[in-house]
Amino acid sequence: MQAPIHTSLMPLSRYLQMTSWATGIRTSLWVYPFIQLIHFSGLSLWLGTNVAGDLRLLGVGKQPQSAGDVRDELFVWNWIGFCIVVLGGFLLFSARATMYIINPAFRTKLFMLVPVALIWHVFVQAKTHDWGKSGIISVGGKAAAVLEIILWLSVVTAAVEIPNFG
Amino acid sequence: MHNFGEWMEHLSWVQYVGMTAWLYSGISTIHYFTLFVMVGTSVVIDLRVLGLAGKGKPVAQFAEQIYPWMWGAFWLAVITGFLEFATDAGDYLPDTVFRVKMTVILLAVIFTILLQRSVSGAPEMKLVSGGTKALAALSLLFWIGSILAGVEIAAISGLG
Repeated sequence: MQAPIHTSLMPLSRYLQMTSWATGIRTSLWVYPFIQLIHFSGLSLWLGTNVAGDLRLLGVGKQPQSAGDVRDELFVWNWIGFCIVVLGGFLLFSARATMYIINPAFRTKLFMLVPVALIWHVFVQAKTHDWGKSGIISVGGKAAAVLEIILWLSVVTAAVEIPNFG
Repeated sequence: MHNFGEWMEHLSWVQYVGMTAWLYSGISTIHYFTLFVMVGTSVVIDLRVLGLAGKGKPVAQFAEQIYPWMWGAFWLAVITGFLEFATDAGDYLPDTVFRVKMTVILLAVIFTILLQRSVSGAPEMKLVSGGTKALAALSLLFWIGSILAGVEIAAISGLG
């Protein structure tokens, strides 16, 4: 029988947590909130640009900028936001890695919901131009946008639940 | 003011919200999600105004599409934030960091409204004035500041 994923990742979690920089984050009164700020600011940019694109796919917003044009315009800032989220998230995780890795809400968020939402986001981003080609967004495009919003809402739900399992 | 907070905490519907785990978690989730969307969409507009995104395109055209979603998310964040606040109003009201957060949010809203009026006043504007850029920078600064104040409430005061 295979060991649960958190068992196999525990040695790595312990190593990360004991690094000098992770210890510094964990023990400093001001650094940890500052890292949270980085994570949340990146999340704002990531989710803000995602939802802006999804709502345009749903037909919300004024012409003439198409859903594809909105996605293209926000593309770079979207992925900059993602990089900032990952950086902040990694630092937060490292500071208390052994606590996070055994937390079921955290594991659900990172190993299940985030990969699914991310893959779906890449798919939606790639297909947006096709869905809006004729100027009218297809039902499939609208459904895809709704699903993306639901998936990222699920990620935030799992994140909110982390302290309840800690 | 502390008595008012204690009174609010003991309202029956507030106690119900505070003691119903799934309801409080749901409200918290919506608060975080709408907060991120609100700040994120505001940042996107600020980046446009500052010339860091969508160069060469009219600013107002883009901003007009984003603002309704931004304000929609803002009001949802306010409603859910109020519900979370109400469950612990007696502790939040006198808390300095909480008051700083509310002040920063008020400033962010003021600068965002001023920016929106400045941008919508010139629909064909592609080149943005220095004053409008300053409003965008201040809007960006105070929205990021509101996030910082929010995380500091938990870190310093232990609330939330």
